[in-house]
Amino acid sequence: MSGLPPMYPSEKPEHPYLSISMPGKYFNSYFSLFCAGCGYGIIGHLFNRVFEDEKLDPKLYPMVIGIGCYGQILLTLHHATQRILALHGRAPGLATGMKMANPKMKPIIFSGDGDCLGIGGNHFMHICRRNLDCIIFIFNNSIYAMTGGQGAPTTLFGAMSTTTPYKMFENRVDGIKLALTAGATYVARTTVAHPRTLMKYFRKALKHKGTSVIEVITPCVTYFGRKNLDNLGAENLGLEGQKMENTGIMIDWIKRNSIRINQAKFMTEEELLNKYIIGEFKIDPNKPEYSEEYAKIKKIAMEGK
Amino acid sequence: MSKENNKRFLQEGKYVMMGNVAMSEGALAAGLEFFGGYPITPSTEVIEHLAKRMPEVGGVCMQMEDELASINAIMGASLVGAKSMTATSGPGFSLMVETISMAACLEIPFVFCDVQRNGPGTGFVTEPHHNDLGLMRFAGNGEFGVIALAPMNCQELFDLTITAFNFAETYRCPVFIISDAYLGHLHEAINIPPKEEIMKKVIPRELPDNFDNKFTYLDPTTNKYITPKAPIMGTDYVPIMFLHQPHNPNGMSSRRLALPFTQMLIDKIKLNMDKISLTEEYKLEDAEIVIISYGLPVRTSYRAVDIARKEGIKVGIFRLITVWPFPDEKVKKVVKDAKAVIVPELNYTGIIAEQVERVTKLETPIIRIPKVCDFHHPNDILEKIREVVK
Repeated sequence: MSGLPPMYPSEKPEHPYLSISMPGKYFNSYFSLFCAGCGYGIIGHLFNRVFEDEKLDPKLYPMVIGIGCYGQILLTLHHATQRILALHGRAPGLATGMKMANPKMKPIIFSGDGDCLGIGGNHFMHICRRNLDCIIFIFNNSIYAMTGGQGAPTTLFGAMSTTTPYKMFENRVDGIKLALTAGATYVARTTVAHPRTLMKYFRKALKHKGTSVIEVITPCVTYFGRKNLDNLGAENLGLEGQKMENTGIMIDWIKRNSIRINQAKFMTEEELLNKYIIGEFKIDPNKPEYSEEYAKIKKIAMEGK
Repeated sequence: MSKENNKRFLQEGKYVMMGNVAMSEGALAAGLEFFGGYPITPSTEVIEHLAKRMPEVGGVCMQMEDELASINAIMGASLVGAKSMTATSGPGFSLMVETISMAACLEIPFVFCDVQRNGPGTGFVTEPHHNDLGLMRFAGNGEFGVIALAPMNCQELFDLTITAFNFAETYRCPVFIISDAYLGHLHEAINIPPKEEIMKKVIPRELPDNFDNKFTYLDPTTNKYITPKAPIMGTDYVPIMFLHQPHNPNGMSSRRLALPFTQMLIDKIKLNMDKISLTEEYKLEDAEIVIISYGLPVRTSYRAVDIARKEGIKVGIFRLITVWPFPDEKVKKVVKDAKAVIVPELNYTGIIAEQVERVTKLETPIIRIPKVCDFHHPNDILEKIREVVK
């Protein structure tokens, strides 16, 4: 934690969380490129809070950001973070190289549902398998929003998108189940409607040694909300749906759709269709971490058996 | 970064080594710290050898889940200041081009060894076919300069790998080593120079002496784009952010910078041709027939030229060590007074022959000697030489 004092002034500015963002620092203006009602502003803001409160050394927490709407989050992030925009889906590979070449680091990967579970599914699976010390955020807005609202591997059953104009009929992938099966050691899911939980999980992941996967459900009003009704998946219950045209309705829908993990145990699979189970799924601090294991191998090799 | 120990350098002396192993040892001597790869015939010996050797020297050798992950991993390692490389063959190369394009944009230095095999498709996996040269030149989307070096024996695989790492550090562009299935599997005697001699040649990855906590692509005096030493994440010597878009000296992207940025990526190679372009000449002084080649066919050509010279035919060899960028000026000079140019290549199209055609503007007859999955016999080249004389 060297050289921190100038980066974190003791006296906070008028608005505590504005001036630490990148445009605030370099352009003296506080813009973001997100649509109205987007959840990524909340996420960037919460990230900055934790970053500031925990006084993280930015040199040890490189940000690896995938391709998607959240790529623009790099403007909202703390100005001192060292960030790199990775290729679509290849962020875990990039982070593996960083971590292994400099084991002091703990890369933080920002990726989306399409990035991490679609094109980069293989890399995601293998970074979890190795239990490499890093944090993976999966921002799930259940749509390819950056390219204009195409169906994603996480699009809910029956939802409309530009590539599923009649309805989505594919089964969706569950990032949490995938991470659990692949062997990630800290797995949690939360939503932007539960910001305190998001901060809590992030803090836990920072202290955890091993792959931490945090899936964050976030609203996309522009491409998902405007096309879909808020009774999605519950049509047979006879509820009359309304278009999710603004954040209020959408956040409300996310809250209604989020089931706590202990409640979900008593629900049938049919009841859980198109629902998000939130909570902490796994904490396993005992599983060996990859870079530590490799250090042991190095020791054996250097001493010559 | 990693602790240096004595195991990095082999003891001075003569060794019999496989081409792939010689290449790996060359990389180690050049200061390799991270190797990420995926097994693919005929380059497997590289990852096998380095899996044993890298931990010994304090480095990392990772077998990744696929080629895409391997090249992204070596890029990540290079970003945090480790010299890195990968080795693959044709189909693996095809998967990696996406990231090569990104690395070129971010100017991340790494070395890429392509042990070529027959294609297209899977092809014959243990047979040589110099069919990736076009892919090397135009790897990935976008315009950028690349450097490709073609060794012809195991000694050169060792030496040129060190040169390749130095080029990567200096010019920060993709640097390829053109090997092939026969060269990679060739066992030959090689001479390992003493440690001090190698250390003198190697350009280390380190922070520049004075950078005032700022990373910039602009020369403060001339206000022009320069290629500074590679940024290292985890230090203060980084741009504001790494964007794979045309970016300004601080790392911020802008559409207006697209032209000067592209120009910079290409000009940094073009303007340093005298340092990058390595060539060799053999009995060229009075030659009427010129053989232009690279890699393994050069070795056959030596024999053919020696026999032809005994018969009184004036023939010489112009050997390309640096294949890309193609040395236009040098070739122009060599073929100026030539009656004919013979280009023996391990491919059918004649990728280098096409370049020679471009340079000579089709004024000199160019004779290709294509071979695929096979060697040239000296007689193949001799026949063509005799035909020209007739």
